[in-house]
Amino acid sequence: MGTELTYAKLLESNNYLRQLSDTTYWLCITRTVQESKLFPMNPYMLLSYLNSFYRLPTLLREIDSVTPAEELGDRAREVSLKVDTVNAAWGMPAFYLIGREMLMNWGLLGPADAVDDVVDVLDFSRRFNLAYHRNDGHLTNKEFGDRSQFLPERTLQVFEADLHGVTPGDRLHTAATKLIAQLSQYAFLAHCECRIGIHNSGPYNFGDNRQLVVRDFFELTEGDYPWLDGIATQLPFSNLTIPIVFKDTNFHLMDDWASFEAEPSYAAANIAAVGMYTSDALTDGYVPVGMENAEVLAETMEQYREILNQATADLWKRIATWTREQMIDAGALVYSSVAKDFAHLAGTYRQSDWFELDDRVQRFKPLMNDEYGRDNLGEMVGLLGFPHQKTNEYTMARYSGLNQNMLTGIPYTVLTDDDFARTAGAALSGSSSLPPKNGLWTTSAGRLELDEYNRRAREFTPAVLTGGNRYLDEEWVKRNHTSERADALYRLAQRGSRNLEGRGAGLRRADLP
Amino acid sequence: MSDSRDGTVAAQTPPKWGATEMLPLPARFNGAVRALAAKRFAATDADWKDVVFDRQFDLFSLADARAIEQEALDSGYRFDFSATVSLESEPDKYKRPEKAASSFAEGPSADGRRQVGVGDNVLRKAETVTGPVALISTTEQVMGFLADGVPAGTIAVIDDSGGTLTAPIIEGFAGVICLGGSVRSHLGILAREYDVPTLMNCTIDTLRDGDVVEIEVTAAPPAADAYETGDTGHARIWILEKGA
Repeated sequence: MGTELTYAKLLESNNYLRQLSDTTYWLCITRTVQESKLFPMNPYMLLSYLNSFYRLPTLLREIDSVTPAEELGDRAREVSLKVDTVNAAWGMPAFYLIGREMLMNWGLLGPADAVDDVVDVLDFSRRFNLAYHRNDGHLTNKEFGDRSQFLPERTLQVFEADLHGVTPGDRLHTAATKLIAQLSQYAFLAHCECRIGIHNSGPYNFGDNRQLVVRDFFELTEGDYPWLDGIATQLPFSNLTIPIVFKDTNFHLMDDWASFEAEPSYAAANIAAVGMYTSDALTDGYVPVGMENAEVLAETMEQYREILNQATADLWKRIATWTREQMIDAGALVYSSVAKDFAHLAGTYRQSDWFELDDRVQRFKPLMNDEYGRDNLGEMVGLLGFPHQKTNEYTMARYSGLNQNMLTGIPYTVLTDDDFARTAGAALSGSSSLPPKNGLWTTSAGRLELDEYNRRAREFTPAVLTGGNRYLDEEWVKRNHTSERADALYRLAQRGSRNLEGRGAGLRRADLP
Repeated sequence: MSDSRDGTVAAQTPPKWGATEMLPLPARFNGAVRALAAKRFAATDADWKDVVFDRQFDLFSLADARAIEQEALDSGYRFDFSATVSLESEPDKYKRPEKAASSFAEGPSADGRRQVGVGDNVLRKAETVTGPVALISTTEQVMGFLADGVPAGTIAVIDDSGGTLTAPIIEGFAGVICLGGSVRSHLGILAREYDVPTLMNCTIDTLRDGDVVEIEVTAAPPAADAYETGDTGHARIWILEKGA
């Protein structure tokens, strides 16, 4: 990072910014309404955008210097990590840029100000997304036609071979549908009503009119969120991935919020096979959870469901005692920390970086009553009614056809003029009204102190990305599947597989057990 | 240091093609911040680049935000609330909720039941669901159900399409009537996952705790483009008349 400003770089940055602007508008007007009687959502969302604006560039620069964004994209392409479609690929740059819009609308920022920050955030985001989407070759789900297919064949083959078949009413089908419901419920609550603890990707063609959707649930127990200290501590993992095969269901949309639409609509009765895995910054690939046989998987799912059912009640009671400011701080920090798991991957994570509202943000709190939150958000992302969001009267935006854009481009005069400040600055000072984080961090390597978690993360690289493995992509496999190197690569993904351990690279669908 | 004829900097020059926000409170608050920031910058007699971040608290401070809010309150303005915690913690700032007038023109009685509302069915079921309603809108009510359990057969009437207010008890309901949102709202998503018969986006006549209603969860869910076309509200809600 610290990209040199050139005309070509600005053209590239503004192109990416405009794509984000159009996609975010489409998502905001077509997907859902954000509302909660429990959490003041809209006020916290506005504050989170400002927090992203002031803090993200500094934090990303440190991360990028340790682990470059494209390497982080490689990590996210191999397993399910919280730096995913909704959090990292879309949310991180979008929240940052929306915060910039708020400040510009207030006359507290010019479109040229913080240009180094804007270009760096976009550059980081673009490199991450290109690597994350390397297997499908697109930048975003929207660019791919609302699809999300980032996993390689070697991983999908393990899923196909090892998932357990189910029929409605059997023990595993019931256990899986109940656990997924409980995970969804808990994820909304732990994330203060927003959806970013839930991730869906796919669909992948599983043949015979079947499609695979990979469902992920993050932040299930003690970790970064201070309010999860002591919650669901019997759960051994913080993240769970549940690949599901559906029959006779076409998932025709998987958007950049990682939510789907299907025809006919998602119905548990059409689930044909399920499995369960975990992964995090320290796992070398997906780790099977209870996958020995259908009975063990059902029992594990039932047990996790019980734990999370109790955890939902415990957490709800804790949150119900919060003040309005605590609810707002928690929600704002959930949103503004969508990129925090980059720091876990790089081993640079500090709690104060991600779980404080910056002093520069705190000054706006008195404006954030519920009505202003609702209407200012609607004005900014739905109506596009901020005066500076209007463009000249001849223009017709994508989707709306109106002369307006959600996000403001960087003026090219930054190459010639000089009355602007290049960065918002690297000094971070902030606070939170929430109780401080005291618990441990739950990882696949056990419950760790933060220093130990960072140390292990810094020393770890998954085997599929070490040495030359990183560049063994699907195009290479096409012509080299008979080689020793290909066998070795596939065997890495097959470690722990019940049916494919050691089978190598030569398998096609018909060869799977 | 400006190209502008009136000497304002680009960051504070009113944009060429837009005038003001469309909604009243954003227009009021944002206009006040803009005016204050412009006045404060003019008083600095410095270059914009030396003020925008280095002296940002001179442009706008916590006290300024408080003053803008107070000015609105002093003028008699009271804000709409969305979260109950806002109304409870700062009752002087928010409008009291008004009892909503009946929003559904009730239908005729037939077969001992009378139609009292419509909504959007989340997941098609084989049979309608009938039960007594419980109107839920506060954390205290949820806490009560958590302590005492949800009575069997209860149909919740919830005015919140979010998924967190009723998080610990949603599974216990025989059905849900939600007075907002859409089938894509968080509550709709959870209803589908939990397989709880649910109508979203409902318009209903006044219901009271204990009224026995029947919800038409046998109706087709709205089409994918229903919320763009307005083709919604096809699932019916009936109240069963006493003695029927």
